[in-house]
Amino acid sequence: MSKAIFEAFDGYQGIVDEIDFSRKHGVDYTVYRDSVDQQINLLHPSRISLRVSDIIVESPSTKTLRFVSQDGYLPPFLAGQYIAFFLEVGGVRTRRPYSLSSPPNQTGYYDITVRRVERGRVSNYLLDEARRGDILEGSGPSGHFYFNPVFHDRTQVCLAGGSGITPFMSMIREAVECGLDRTFYLFYGNKTLDEAIFHDELGRLSGRFQNIIYVPVIENPPGGYAGATGLITGDLIMKTIGDVADKTFYLCGPQGMYDFCVPELQRMGVPLRKIRREIYGPPAHIWEDPAWPREIKAEDHFRVRVAGGKPIDARAGEPLLTALENAGLRVPSLCRSGECSMCRIKILSGKVFQPAGVPVRKSDRQFGYVHACVSFPIEDLEILT
Amino acid sequence: MEAYDAVVIGAGNGGLTAAAGLAQKGLKVLLLERHNIPGGCATSFCRGRFEFEVALHQLSGMGTTERPGPLRMLLASLGVLEDLTFVEMKDLFSVSMTDGFRLTLRADKDQVISELEQRFPHEKAAIHQFFDLVYAYANNMLAAFFFKDPAPSREKYPVLYSHAFKPASEVLDEIFTDPLLKGLLSVYWGYLGLPPNRLSFAYLAMLLFVYIEFKPFHIKGGSQALSNAILNRFLSNGGTARFNGGAKRIIVENGAVQGVVTDDGDRIQTEHVVSNASQITTYAQLMDRENIPDQVFTEMGGRSLSPSAFTLFVGFDCEPGELGITGSTNFLIDSFEFDDRIFSRMRSVDITDETMVLSCYDVADPDFSPAGACQANIVTLKYGEPWMRIPPARYHSVKFQCAESMLRRVEAIFPGVRTHIEELEAATPLTHMRYLGHPEGAIYGFEQYTKDSMFFQPGRYAPIEGLYFASGWIGDCGFQPTLNAGMSAAKSILKKLDAA
Repeated sequence: MSKAIFEAFDGYQGIVDEIDFSRKHGVDYTVYRDSVDQQINLLHPSRISLRVSDIIVESPSTKTLRFVSQDGYLPPFLAGQYIAFFLEVGGVRTRRPYSLSSPPNQTGYYDITVRRVERGRVSNYLLDEARRGDILEGSGPSGHFYFNPVFHDRTQVCLAGGSGITPFMSMIREAVECGLDRTFYLFYGNKTLDEAIFHDELGRLSGRFQNIIYVPVIENPPGGYAGATGLITGDLIMKTIGDVADKTFYLCGPQGMYDFCVPELQRMGVPLRKIRREIYGPPAHIWEDPAWPREIKAEDHFRVRVAGGKPIDARAGEPLLTALENAGLRVPSLCRSGECSMCRIKILSGKVFQPAGVPVRKSDRQFGYVHACVSFPIEDLEILT
Repeated sequence: MEAYDAVVIGAGNGGLTAAAGLAQKGLKVLLLERHNIPGGCATSFCRGRFEFEVALHQLSGMGTTERPGPLRMLLASLGVLEDLTFVEMKDLFSVSMTDGFRLTLRADKDQVISELEQRFPHEKAAIHQFFDLVYAYANNMLAAFFFKDPAPSREKYPVLYSHAFKPASEVLDEIFTDPLLKGLLSVYWGYLGLPPNRLSFAYLAMLLFVYIEFKPFHIKGGSQALSNAILNRFLSNGGTARFNGGAKRIIVENGAVQGVVTDDGDRIQTEHVVSNASQITTYAQLMDRENIPDQVFTEMGGRSLSPSAFTLFVGFDCEPGELGITGSTNFLIDSFEFDDRIFSRMRSVDITDETMVLSCYDVADPDFSPAGACQANIVTLKYGEPWMRIPPARYHSVKFQCAESMLRRVEAIFPGVRTHIEELEAATPLTHMRYLGHPEGAIYGFEQYTKDSMFFQPGRYAPIEGLYFASGWIGDCGFQPTLNAGMSAAKSILKKLDAA
């Protein structure tokens, strides 16, 4: 059929005139070039070049690294968000997320606060090797652990464990520095008192501002310690906050803290929708998961073939992502806790163990996709990155 | 150097069907995608225990197994039907107003007419006249174009000749007097991006026709399931897909495609490229200006960017009924004037009484969200340009303010929703810009004025040998058209290779 039949449709000439007119006064799209990327980079750059401008010793085991932008621009973030660093440590390219501990109103720099951890390859590298003037590559700010004014309560009950204090530092600093209409109850659990990062600053802020209530909770207190001791229990929380109405609860710390505190909160009558949990890395001892296959040992090794290539070696007790990185493969990642889906890979054959509750899309499950950062090999695998 | 029969840039709907269509015929195909997941718009994301559907509201063109529509046939030809479960929506849509007005239309012609007759008895004759016209137009259109009548004429297809280029509002004004009824019957304009005074009757008529005749559908697992299924078929047919890296440049020599340079700097040899990216990006970013005839930019310059959208994704800790939500597709409307006020609202950042659609997939598919929970995708159209002028430091607070305004509008119709929110995420025009790579976050590509319809534009073709387009930018937008666009691009390449 000749396409030209539409030339006989009523109103055809009017359309032709409209086309002539709109082209004559049209848009010059040649100038668009990479304008989309440039616009998005203001908010969500895939990479930022950061220079260590200062290193602040917080405690014998903890340092704050302060970063300024090499090109002078730092994208905005929400208190509680993290950035990931892209590093090469011991000849292995890897990435690690760190919550920003500086407040978002401080637009000149980003702070991250790092504590020494057992087998913490990257954290220990940052503590021991990073020097002023070093340049590190980082991601743009990311993450969903922040105050959302649309549906969170203005009274925030925060439960922190160990280095899980960092996102709350950003939130509390922002609140006091900007005079925000928010109240913080901060329960901060540590094994010993001298492990409590920012203890002095939090004590000072709590003394000065009525809306900052700081409750350190020490598991093994020194003799004669007058403050709260043991774990962060429902009773302690209730005694401090009075009632659970009009309050949103935020948790950031190791898995053990969630396992203990979430049931405590529920026992207090806090509905699940009021409980916000920050991600905190892959489970450290996955083989202790109740669903872990008993016949598999943490030290068992499996062979992983990537897209038909040479097999690489992977340990059952270690996230598949780590094995891939150790073998020199480049797999993108951000949160390394199962949430962001950046390290999504396809399992062609073999099985991995995934802890319960990892947010994997339904159809990804159907077609064999997993998040490599929280997948543990329990058979020989063939995968597609 | 790596060599492929074809390189497909972008794994959105059009890119996926193009790639799968070519690989199915034995071609060696490379699919490049900047993101870590296929789908483009047709995707989902997780927050807490919810997986949020991003873009699919009502899938058109499916039809039933007994009476398959064009999309079902397309998906069958790609071999993905058995991997997917489709859920038929019994309602066309519901309309809710803050004054308490509620109306639900079933996806059935006779039931739509009888419901409207009951509610608008003074417009009884007009209602029949309108649907007769919609069906006459659709049947004329299908006979002339879909079934390719070799000798069409005004005598055979009078409604096509008289109505193809008429604005929707003009037709509605001619037939009806009640502004509310006119508003209800043109509420689907939001799926097309142009208000009824600028939208052609042809688009509105075809949309009503396909939804009523082939029924609106949703997919178990959402649109991501569709994207994953097509990609899976592509891979099993020997296709190569690379994620987390797109194309940096299309190499053209002597007016013909010679290859592609990837974001990683790999040079790929190929004589065929299907671009699932916009023509703007393809021509202005991926290609050298001297390889592009001036005519390309002159033609494109006459077209304007469609709106983007502001979208709220809300996870509730209760079932839809508890929120008062009884329909899958709910249009919230408060204004029915067909004037450019709609336009000026779309051009402003703030949200007041805009028309919006709230889709609650759990109504038709109770498994969509976790047991005892449900989700809503609430969207209103907004141009991206004003958002680009917000200083980055202000961006998050403006985003929260708009989310709050939108939620208030929803609360006015479904009181109590706020007390059940478990997760809430907002997407602004800049979010759409980020994930789609579309200039100004234009979700529908170029605007779909009559002058931009298939009769007047180059569609999938480019004046560069071996380059084809497959996306919502080349003509009609939406799931069915973009999936179809990819198949058409694949067919063009296969035909060219057959001829050689």
